[in-house]
Amino acid sequence: MKKVTLLLLSLFLPLVLAEAREAPKSGLESYEAWDPEIVQAFERILVQDGGRVKPIYTVSRFTLMQFSGKSRAKFETKDGEKHNLHYSEWMLNVLFRGEIAKDIPVFVIDNSEAVVQIGVSPKSKKRTVYSYNDLLPGRARLAELAAQYNEKHQKFIQSEKRDRQYELDPIEGMVRNLGGNISSFEFLVGQLGFARDGRILVNENILPQELLDLAAKTSPMKMLREMPMPEMSIDQLVQIIQQPPSQEEAEKTLQDVFRLYFFFANTSRGLNFFPPQDQKIETWLSASDMMTRGLESKEARPWCAGQLESIEKLVDAEKEGDEAFKTAINSFVESQHEISDPANEGLYVDQEISLYRNMPFHKALYYFIGAFLILAISWFAPGSTFGKVTLVIASLLALTGLVYDVYGIWLRSIVRQRPPITNLYDTIIFITATAVFLGLLIELFTRISIGTLLAVIAGVGGMFLSIKYEAKEAADTMDPLVAVLDTNFWLATHVTIINMGYAAALLAAIIGIIYLIVRFIMTFQGKEDKSFFRILTRMNYGIICFCLLFSLVGTVLGGIWANYSWGRFWGWDPKENGALMICLWTLVILHGRMAGWIRDLGVHMQSIILAIITTFSWWGVNNLGVGLHSYGFTEGVWGALYTSWAVLGIFLFMGVVIWFSDRAKKAARREATESNIPPIPSQ
Amino acid sequence: MAKKSIDWSPENWPSLIYRLFTSFKVATIVFVLLTLITLLGTLYQVEHGLHAAKEQYFYSWIIVEKVGTIPLLIPGGMLLMWILFINMTLGALVKVRKRWKGVGLLVSHSGMLMLLAGAFITHKASSDGYMALYPGMKSNRVESYRDWQLEIMPLDDEGTAEKAWILPSDELQSIRSDEQRKYETEDLPFGIVINGFSQNATPIPVSAPMAAKAQGKEIDGFKLSQQQASKNAEQNLPGCYIELRPESGDPIETILWAGSFRFDPREKPMPFTFEVGGQKYGALLAKRTWVVPFEVQLDEFIFERHPGISTARNYESRITRFEESQPEKPVEIKMNEPMRYAGYTFFQESFGPQGSEPGDEMFSQFAVANNPADQWPLWSLVVTSAGLLLHFVIMLVSYIVRSFSSKPKAATAS
Repeated sequence: MKKVTLLLLSLFLPLVLAEAREAPKSGLESYEAWDPEIVQAFERILVQDGGRVKPIYTVSRFTLMQFSGKSRAKFETKDGEKHNLHYSEWMLNVLFRGEIAKDIPVFVIDNSEAVVQIGVSPKSKKRTVYSYNDLLPGRARLAELAAQYNEKHQKFIQSEKRDRQYELDPIEGMVRNLGGNISSFEFLVGQLGFARDGRILVNENILPQELLDLAAKTSPMKMLREMPMPEMSIDQLVQIIQQPPSQEEAEKTLQDVFRLYFFFANTSRGLNFFPPQDQKIETWLSASDMMTRGLESKEARPWCAGQLESIEKLVDAEKEGDEAFKTAINSFVESQHEISDPANEGLYVDQEISLYRNMPFHKALYYFIGAFLILAISWFAPGSTFGKVTLVIASLLALTGLVYDVYGIWLRSIVRQRPPITNLYDTIIFITATAVFLGLLIELFTRISIGTLLAVIAGVGGMFLSIKYEAKEAADTMDPLVAVLDTNFWLATHVTIINMGYAAALLAAIIGIIYLIVRFIMTFQGKEDKSFFRILTRMNYGIICFCLLFSLVGTVLGGIWANYSWGRFWGWDPKENGALMICLWTLVILHGRMAGWIRDLGVHMQSIILAIITTFSWWGVNNLGVGLHSYGFTEGVWGALYTSWAVLGIFLFMGVVIWFSDRAKKAARREATESNIPPIPSQ
Repeated sequence: MAKKSIDWSPENWPSLIYRLFTSFKVATIVFVLLTLITLLGTLYQVEHGLHAAKEQYFYSWIIVEKVGTIPLLIPGGMLLMWILFINMTLGALVKVRKRWKGVGLLVSHSGMLMLLAGAFITHKASSDGYMALYPGMKSNRVESYRDWQLEIMPLDDEGTAEKAWILPSDELQSIRSDEQRKYETEDLPFGIVINGFSQNATPIPVSAPMAAKAQGKEIDGFKLSQQQASKNAEQNLPGCYIELRPESGDPIETILWAGSFRFDPREKPMPFTFEVGGQKYGALLAKRTWVVPFEVQLDEFIFERHPGISTARNYESRITRFEESQPEKPVEIKMNEPMRYAGYTFFQESFGPQGSEPGDEMFSQFAVANNPADQWPLWSLVVTSAGLLLHFVIMLVSYIVRSFSSKPKAATAS
């Protein structure tokens, strides 16, 4: 057992080492951090994004994750100082100190070949993080290649059977992603360009010098307030600026004004900071929308100019000093809330910030890992007082991890005003919580450390998966729901219950794996601990019964929901079939046991097959691309599924070896009995 | 230990059959096979669509699955569910030892039987179709999703018809693409010959390169090109060659194609028109229709997206229901809130035309279902859940009682 303990402890070493990586070098001489109070004030700015109003804190988090795969920007300045920026601080730089943001390495590139393709010298052959300025020499080539690969990718998606000739190779995929990320970054840096008195920072080469000079003197806000611009649509504006330059000085100046106005209207799209005046309208507006509206209607100009002025004040205040900037941000946030609060929008900003700031799922992971380590230590002296105390500590740590997980789930429910599960990400954290709860419940009844072990395995695995999934998707996981899911009753019943069934199925498989590993080792050591194995089998049987109850009730509830929504109870849709297969396989186990075909070893082996079916139902069917439930397509899922099934297959193989060994022992005993030789005593 | 020998005498057969059908072994085999065909049917959908998978795996008696070139026979979903029904009835309700500890299982199996019976009634007796309406339109007519029939009707001077001769969809759709069938009726002064029916087809000009591959004869410069059946069976557009043979005069030949039917509730079908004996007739492939005992008028269709993105947040229809001797009834139908009335259920299904945006004039489409066993799953769920819960509580209580009455010796992971 001690060897096993050491082996298991060593598994966590790579996790610790992975965190201690070298910070990439930046072109910045030095870096001055933002006043924490400014960062805190900035985080509360509201933005409407992805169909809902959220704090810029959330937007910053997922933008940085999308670029770098991480939620922090680490770098080393030329003065030798190392910096570790929080995502909101990074976003403050992007919006208000673009020239610094351009030197912070955030664009992760897995293979240097992608950088070579755009004509930039790679920093290293391995996965490296680049800054915008590092990649700037290859910007034009990147745009060209990204467009080309985008087109190819579109053809691949649209082709009838995913034509392989249009499939992007990994390098092409990287270049395409990089192209998208660099464009997004430029949009963010250029977002407030209209308020920077001519400091354009990105794409400045598009503008001729006279327009740059003009930008230093005027702004769209001033143009709306002070210049006699006629009412016109953006299309009409495009027509005007496409006309050849006028010879008349006055007309040429007006043309320049229009061209600059169009440039700013184009570059300030994206971040919707402004709640609409009319409460019946839900769509928030960006600075670009303000410019377009102001251009279209003289009546709207004072309001539009006022909103643009509020951004200019922010930009000016940043130059005036920390106190002025903080006051300006607070005042901007207050003005947003004055309109959004009565419309019941952005009411749970603090809870959302708290969710991401407190990182309950990361903390849960740490507690589960801690619980695992303590539990492993308890196995050095099982049954002793030391062993019992450490087991209690491990169980309490696992319980703390569960509390953090549930706290995170609860916060997400509050922010969305929804039951716990509305998308694939929610299922991970919910299934983990259920499995950990069941494990601890088992521990409460059995007190032999297996329940706690189940809880920590489920906890570590589930939390690790949730963190990896979030980083991979790098997108808001609290998106609004599609019309058919807009029902709290069915989300709270069918979805919750069926996921409890999934959790039980996976827990049953973990019990099965523990059984098979221990029995496999003991078989080769010639040992046996029948009472321990009997307890494991009883545990697994109980969990499989739990799985049947919840899977069956959840599946039928899903059918009833489908009957309410679509008019049929059962449509043989892949997701429905996945749930049905889980029910059927639990019935195979229960009836096979009654038939005498499945005994202890069989129950555990079947529970592993149940896990294969469950993972197929949970992840696989979403990626088949057919049916009413084909949501949540996640790239790379099949690879991960095949790997996990191969691993589970190894455990099944161990079961087969044990089965043959048991048969051989039985045959030997029978032979010994038949020849009247005293049987070999079992050890 | 010597095994009990089985009495195979014919007098013992009923007992053997009873033992076979009530055994846990049969139940286990059925569950394994049901899991297998569910998996195969799910994967089959990826290439062939839902409708084909249902017919091939779930509504069939026998499945022929090829492993390489060797055909493998697997019992189909229908056969397995019948065996399961018999096994459950005899094994779990009749044969089972009646004792208080088994009450929960008895109840839960009764619930599952109810579910299977409900599924059978749904399969045999339910109907489903759709009704699409623009605001202001009123109808009591429901159209089938997949069933196409041949309609031939005498037309008046304005091109409208009062009655039609119909070749039912079951008959029409059973005609193979290389088969000829003839029909005579007293209602029409000519015979009808159908030369091949294709479930999914497109008429193409003979000048097109693909026409060389198309079988069938050329009519007015066109041939009917057979297409692979769509994964989504509702999208199939069937076609056939038809020949109308009057008692005197030359036969009239044409291609009938479902694409001449309408795709939008406002459009009018365009039948092939011809004259026999001075009377004008129209012929077309049309979707099978039936009527409900009330009329539905769409007053308003509301379609909303989440702000700033294309995800639909809500679509709902405000309708008025008209029925003889009943007052008009305004009703709201939206996602998850259907209208149930007179044995029919109207669900908010979709909208059109394709590519419509909020603000455009749009039609609303209702799925219309008539299922006598509509609520059976709900009742069976209540019964099954109660039974399972009762059983597991009984098991848990007896386990806890056992555990406390005989405290196990310290069993540890080591």
